[in-house]
Amino acid sequence: MSSISGTNKSSRWSAVRKEIGRAGGALLISLIVTFVIVLLTSKDPLGAFEQLLTQLPQKTRTFGYWIDDVAKLTITGLAFSLVFQARQFSMGVQGQVYIGALAATYVALSPLGASWAGIPLGIAAAMLAGAVYGFLPGIAKAKLGANEIVSSLMLNYVAIELCNFLVRTNLPKPQAGVLTTNDFPDSAVFPMLVDKTRIDLGLILAIVAVLVVWFAVYRTSWGLKLRLVGHNARFAEYSGIKSTFIMVSAMTASGALGGLLGSMFVQGQTYGKLTVLFEGNLAFEGILVAIVARSRPLAVPIVALFYGYLRQGAQLMNIRTDVPAEVIGVVTAIIILLVSSSYSLAFLKRLFRRGVATAPTPAAAAGAAK
Amino acid sequence: MALLEAIGISKTYPGGVVANDGVNLVVESGEVHAVVGENGAGKSTLMKILFGIEQPNAGALMLDGKPVRFANPREAIEAGIGMVFQHFSLVPSFSVYENVVLGSEPRSGIRFERHKAIAEVKAISDRFRLSVDPMPAVMTLPVGQQQRVEILKALYRNARILILDEPTAVLAPQEVQELFVAIRSLVAQGKTVIFIAHKLPEVLEISDTITVMRQGKTVGQVKAKEVTEKSLAAMMVGREVTLRVERKATDQSQRVAEIEGLRVVNARGTEVVAGLDLNVHAGEVVGLVGVEGNGQAETLEAVAGLRAIAAGTIRIADKDATAMSVLDRRALGLASIPEDRIARGLATGATVAENLVATRLNETRYVRNGLLDLKAIKANALQLIERFSIRVGGPASTVDTLSGGNMQKVVVARELAEQPKLLLVNQPTRGVDLGATQFIWRTITDARDAGAAVLLSSADLGELLALSDRLLVLYRGRIVAAFVNTPDLTPETLGTYMLGLSTQTADEMKAALR
Ligand SMILES: Nc1ncnc2c1ncn2[C@@H]1O[C@H](COP(=O)(O)OP(=O)(O)OP(=O)(O)O)[C@@H](O)[C@H]1O
Ligand SMILES: [Mg+2]
Repeated sequence: MSSISGTNKSSRWSAVRKEIGRAGGALLISLIVTFVIVLLTSKDPLGAFEQLLTQLPQKTRTFGYWIDDVAKLTITGLAFSLVFQARQFSMGVQGQVYIGALAATYVALSPLGASWAGIPLGIAAAMLAGAVYGFLPGIAKAKLGANEIVSSLMLNYVAIELCNFLVRTNLPKPQAGVLTTNDFPDSAVFPMLVDKTRIDLGLILAIVAVLVVWFAVYRTSWGLKLRLVGHNARFAEYSGIKSTFIMVSAMTASGALGGLLGSMFVQGQTYGKLTVLFEGNLAFEGILVAIVARSRPLAVPIVALFYGYLRQGAQLMNIRTDVPAEVIGVVTAIIILLVSSSYSLAFLKRLFRRGVATAPTPAAAAGAAK
Repeated sequence: MALLEAIGISKTYPGGVVANDGVNLVVESGEVHAVVGENGAGKSTLMKILFGIEQPNAGALMLDGKPVRFANPREAIEAGIGMVFQHFSLVPSFSVYENVVLGSEPRSGIRFERHKAIAEVKAISDRFRLSVDPMPAVMTLPVGQQQRVEILKALYRNARILILDEPTAVLAPQEVQELFVAIRSLVAQGKTVIFIAHKLPEVLEISDTITVMRQGKTVGQVKAKEVTEKSLAAMMVGREVTLRVERKATDQSQRVAEIEGLRVVNARGTEVVAGLDLNVHAGEVVGLVGVEGNGQAETLEAVAGLRAIAAGTIRIADKDATAMSVLDRRALGLASIPEDRIARGLATGATVAENLVATRLNETRYVRNGLLDLKAIKANALQLIERFSIRVGGPASTVDTLSGGNMQKVVVARELAEQPKLLLVNQPTRGVDLGATQFIWRTITDARDAGAAVLLSSADLGELLALSDRLLVLYRGRIVAAFVNTPDLTPETLGTYMLGLSTQTADEMKAALR
């Protein structure tokens, strides 16, 4: 018996190693391709790459940008992982972020916001609102057969526009015409964890969320059912698992995470108020994080760490050199392509070996040319 | 000189399973070469190595006397090797001819020459007696036809050597005969066929040479003419195997399942079960006989609660179960072994332990306050792996690393872990080796002896005759004949009713319809 569990452990580790190798390989290739592009377009390619790869940890302030991004990417990555594990393709995290942010804002700007309850109530309201917003595409799919991709994307627009509208009309503003609300009272803003940085309570929330989601997925019966539905819905039906319930509840739980992210944005050190379009398209990057992490909750923060680094590094590069931040889109595109295809390291080795002779893909050609 | 030779092939999968351990295989040109062996003996692994899907850790391949290495299937195909997997890799929405030519389409410039493609597919299918209409979408075809498309695909790419991994496991008996006609015509035209199967009569009928594998090793190569079913079985298993089960006398007075006026209409609007009345009693096995597609599968699915019914009532253990959920039916003591283990019976990406408790997640043994009792789940898995001798790395291995027969054992182990009241069984031994077939038969019979009511469907008449107390022949969704199983009941008698050539009168059926 001990030998059995022994081989299992080692095989699980070898599988984990393989995945890490795959992700690392993908990262390397995408960076090489990016470098080639930068080489061709920039006047100072080395300088640009230096900004992208080495500058972030040098100053506390920029370091804080990175960690703050990691916390947020972790939450959106978890939200997508949850629905992906149940093989649902709800794209609604962005909408949930806006709805959650609105709910948190109403709490923060109400008399309650000025009390000790500002933070916990704001978080709770945001999560509840996000959950409701995640539930909608779920129930629409269960009852009406509405495709969750379409309905969740539509709900994203609704949430963004609703947020715009309320900021313009309903919410208290410092002066007419600006597109932000009043600053939240201090009691409703997440406390800073590291001085002079954006690192705040959100980081702790992200860590807790990772553990909670991991526990829910791997230690509860709900989580096992969720994974079984994701593996094979027909098998789940045959086993008597109520797959519609699982599907709707997964989308609802993921919505709560989306809502939480909304609260982290507006109640966090970065803003401390609601402004229109505050989210800067971060929510959707959870898709990349979830895909590379293979929807494993414990892998999500690790992927977020790397990806957050690139993301903020690209911002620095954008500001300080002639290379636009959009170049990072190349990195993400290549990583997604490689990780979601069935490429393996052995495959890469073969490509590299033949690279010059047949030049099958730009990636391999670029790799071989180096 | 041998056409294809594998010398000392070894393969260890990540995780430490030694699937091949110094395997030798010598295939002569123009023969049908069968590879037989128990589930998990390493047959599919060897074939995947010949076809370049897996890489051996040691050993060499010789083709036409020259050493070769295939890094991937494309290289194997270029060398003239084709393979048909047990689970097909066709594009369901594409037409037959599109599937056949996909990837090496005839073209002029960049234009796809549709007519030429159709003509070529027709020509090959005529030449090798694999008749199939090139036009319809593959998903509208029955399995047997889809398999032909797979074979055509290999032939279109000029395969000289055709590997068929358990081609007969998915076929009805008549389709097996049609496949054999095609194989003979292939061989007559100079092709070589490597063929894996578990049913020894089939192996002896079609093959010239047989290689026997056991636990990752080759135990021998024999001429089909020189062995009998018995001696071959002994070589495979290492002991004598007799496929027979003794049934105890049981008390069959108590009705467990009562099906009345059952009608099922399929997605296309055809009535597939047309007013079925039947009862199953405790301690008996009722066999549903029929050519595939005459309502057996649908009847079983309707009783299991997996298929909407158009009319009728289903009573299980004296309760009206017509509108019950799957879970409620299971709570009444229903267990079911579905026809397609991959599509229905397992979550192949999940672990063996998880698959073994999937139907019991409402029991406090495994789940308390919504939390999984991982220890109990693991213990359950270890116990069932041991009791049903499932060959697997351990409870935490995912099901997709198991060989076909061992996957089936996982399903059987889960459903028969506890004594059921009503057991629904469809194709219990498809792709399962001799030893395991005997074991599964024994397990089903034990459940019956202990008082379970069993409703069984199988494409294998031998299996139905071996296990059933009563046999009901279905034709177009109706019972056309009913027999009490006696030693003089023969497959031939059943056959005439199965094909709808004759029908018993109500009086004749009466004795066997209780
Ligand atoms: N991808 C894999 N990873 C790990 N182990 C595997 C993998 N594929 C097969 N195995 C193991 O290798 C052994 C041989 O498997 P293989 O599929 O070759 O058997 P087989 O002879 O084809 O059996 P069957 O008759 O049941 O199809 C089995 O123990 C199986 O569990
Ligand atoms: Mg096999």
